[in-house]
Amino acid sequence: MKTVTIKVAGESIQARVGETVIHALWNAGKAELIKTGCAGGVCGACTITVRSPEGKMKGTDLACMCPVEEGMEVFPCPVDSALTVAPEINPNEEKLRKAYPKLDRCTKCGSCTSACPMSIPVMDSVLRMRAGQLDEVADDFTNCIHCGLCRFVCEDGVEPHMMGMWVRRSIGSSAEIEEKKKDKDSREIELEWQYLLEGSSTDRMNNALQFRKSGKIQP
Amino acid sequence: MDWAKHSLEKLEASREARLCSKPPQLGEGDAKKILNQYHPDYLGMHRNICIGPNKNDGNFPHELADLLEADSQLPIDFEPSEDIETDVLIIGGGGAGASAALALEETGLRVHLATKLRLGDSNTVMAEGGIQASLGINDSPRRHFSDAYVGGHGQNNRDLLRILCESGSSAISWLSQLGCMLDRNKDGTFQLRPGGGTSLSRVLACRDYTGLEIMRVLKDAVLLSGTTVLQNYAAIELLDDGEGQVTGAVLWDRNKEKLVTVSARAVIIATGGSGQLRFNSFPTSNHLGAVGDGLVLAYRQGCRLINSDSYQYHPSGSVYPEALVGQLVTESIRSMGAQVVNSEGRRFVDEMTFRDVLAASIIKEVKEKRGVQTLTNRIGVWLDTPIIDLQNGQGFLQRKFPGIVHRFARYSIDPAKQAILIYPTLHYQNGGIEIDKDGCTKVKGLWAAGEVTGGLHGTNRLMGNSLLDIIVFGRRAAISAQNSLPERRRVTLTRLKEFRASLGINSARQQLLSPQLFPTQTGMKISFERKVIMESQDENSRSTNQLSFEPPDPFTK
Repeated sequence: MKTVTIKVAGESIQARVGETVIHALWNAGKAELIKTGCAGGVCGACTITVRSPEGKMKGTDLACMCPVEEGMEVFPCPVDSALTVAPEINPNEEKLRKAYPKLDRCTKCGSCTSACPMSIPVMDSVLRMRAGQLDEVADDFTNCIHCGLCRFVCEDGVEPHMMGMWVRRSIGSSAEIEEKKKDKDSREIELEWQYLLEGSSTDRMNNALQFRKSGKIQP
Repeated sequence: MDWAKHSLEKLEASREARLCSKPPQLGEGDAKKILNQYHPDYLGMHRNICIGPNKNDGNFPHELADLLEADSQLPIDFEPSEDIETDVLIIGGGGAGASAALALEETGLRVHLATKLRLGDSNTVMAEGGIQASLGINDSPRRHFSDAYVGGHGQNNRDLLRILCESGSSAISWLSQLGCMLDRNKDGTFQLRPGGGTSLSRVLACRDYTGLEIMRVLKDAVLLSGTTVLQNYAAIELLDDGEGQVTGAVLWDRNKEKLVTVSARAVIIATGGSGQLRFNSFPTSNHLGAVGDGLVLAYRQGCRLINSDSYQYHPSGSVYPEALVGQLVTESIRSMGAQVVNSEGRRFVDEMTFRDVLAASIIKEVKEKRGVQTLTNRIGVWLDTPIIDLQNGQGFLQRKFPGIVHRFARYSIDPAKQAILIYPTLHYQNGGIEIDKDGCTKVKGLWAAGEVTGGLHGTNRLMGNSLLDIIVFGRRAAISAQNSLPERRRVTLTRLKEFRASLGINSARQQLLSPQLFPTQTGMKISFERKVIMESQDENSRSTNQLSFEPPDPFTK
């Protein structure tokens, strides 16, 4: 199988073509070099920066999602968690601004958008926050894994992922809770439970098989 | 994907005919036969263990049996002396642990949550498909129960299952109040999707990031709560008072590389599953830490494990590209119409049958040479994803499953245009620590919740029942611990000493140590006084590691 040489935190490592940086580290017995969580691209633990062989910046990435390439240089880039602010009912841009005053410091440099491993339009969304378009913001951050790279690269210390979370939780907790559906009367409910829970194991299995067809006891 | 051109042509040629076709149905007897012949649980690759509550009682996968019989990581001369005093110690930073912590908010109790990774680095965050709750028309907790009971082969603990099903609606309300945004219809009602083995639509989701959405919110809420979160603290032993009550734990602080003794009035184990033990050399969809730590810890304290030979092999793990091997392709993509098709372009099973039956059917198809082989010699069958947009209109797949689209885009694969290769992947530990309906184990002072427990799901779990499990039973365990909180007792290693005596361990030289904390493939180990011994072991395992690339080939023994 074809192998390549990569460098992680200055150490040379042989890796198979097609595998990710994380799996290359495991095979090399150097798993501790990069802090890892889910190894599936959703927990945001294994943040890295990558340089291509020519020495030019390739950018930020997740080590568990990043396939190896000949000559690539990888640097661990763990991001500390930021202080979080409690969500508020019926959010608007004023409440957001109060929770995260740095919102207005965005210089529109676009670093956050290019740093995001989930392809979220982060900077555009920060601008939407300023304009109070919070429903769109909530949608933008649906797949935010909270790796914090957007904050890590921001020269002004804006915390887009924290604000995205605040907006989502605030909108989510303001939504009306669906009214509880009316169930059957309690006597009938108890009869159904008896039907499912009592009798021999064969009876119970047969009753469950029957019950799931219609949701009723068939005489 | 030129290497699969031949088979892809057949797949595409049959698509239109398949579009309106009914899935092939297996009779009850046929399903049993396929399970017996092809499902890894049924192949007898288990063994008895020679020590503890399950001595000669219950079958265990070899990898797990080895760990249950292994010696502790703790140095033989270690004596606990209290570094941290708390009321409730929660071990595990996934959904169950976080739910337990939140249930103890405003109780005035001191709560510590220890996780060997970071809060949220867990199987919960990786869950994609959704969470079940019987909110639909014609649905009820009893119907939910029936589906899960049939799916679990009637091996479920009925008390636990009834509570799970009756708590669906309140769990969803709780999550909503915390700010979880689950997909809704235009009229504000929750969208319900079908799941494998559900008799009607009952699965709530947030696109294909349901676990991420739930974990992200739980984590944020825990960080805002009074819980003290100990990140990068691995639990390596439980403590007891010498009279059968669990009284705390010894943790390994990974950053400072030192042992920390915690005295607690109650301990809640929420450490999750063990997919990273890679039974039968299967790849896994699990996170880094899923190596069965909690089973080992509880077992040494005298907790019985049930259904320990039962694991869920999720039918749709990725097979190609190599970097994504074993990773989950959500079941709900099948519930929205994606079809499972063999190399001949034929459907061979109902995509929405129970997971174990579907997984066994895929293994059968591959064994009978109707699979598709990749350049790295992995074999899978097709998951025809482009058919979804044909059924639901262009852009549907991208809207509903942005996660799958994002993950494959990196390899220039667009699931809306190109089918995905799948094969079962080790996904979920069906069995585990025996608990009652309040999450109490048989040992005083010790509670357990979530994937680490057994009984609720029988021997096969339905989609969407594990996210519900962790919310419902994580909270119940915490409330029960609060209501019957024992008095503080001294911290000793009496149980461990007894365990070591019965193993015949009187020196620190022991081949295997547990809990293992990390997959063997990573070579990650903790090292304190045993450093010398471990390094020599390390050399051995390294040399074999270098030969076997990761993840292991599922088809070689």
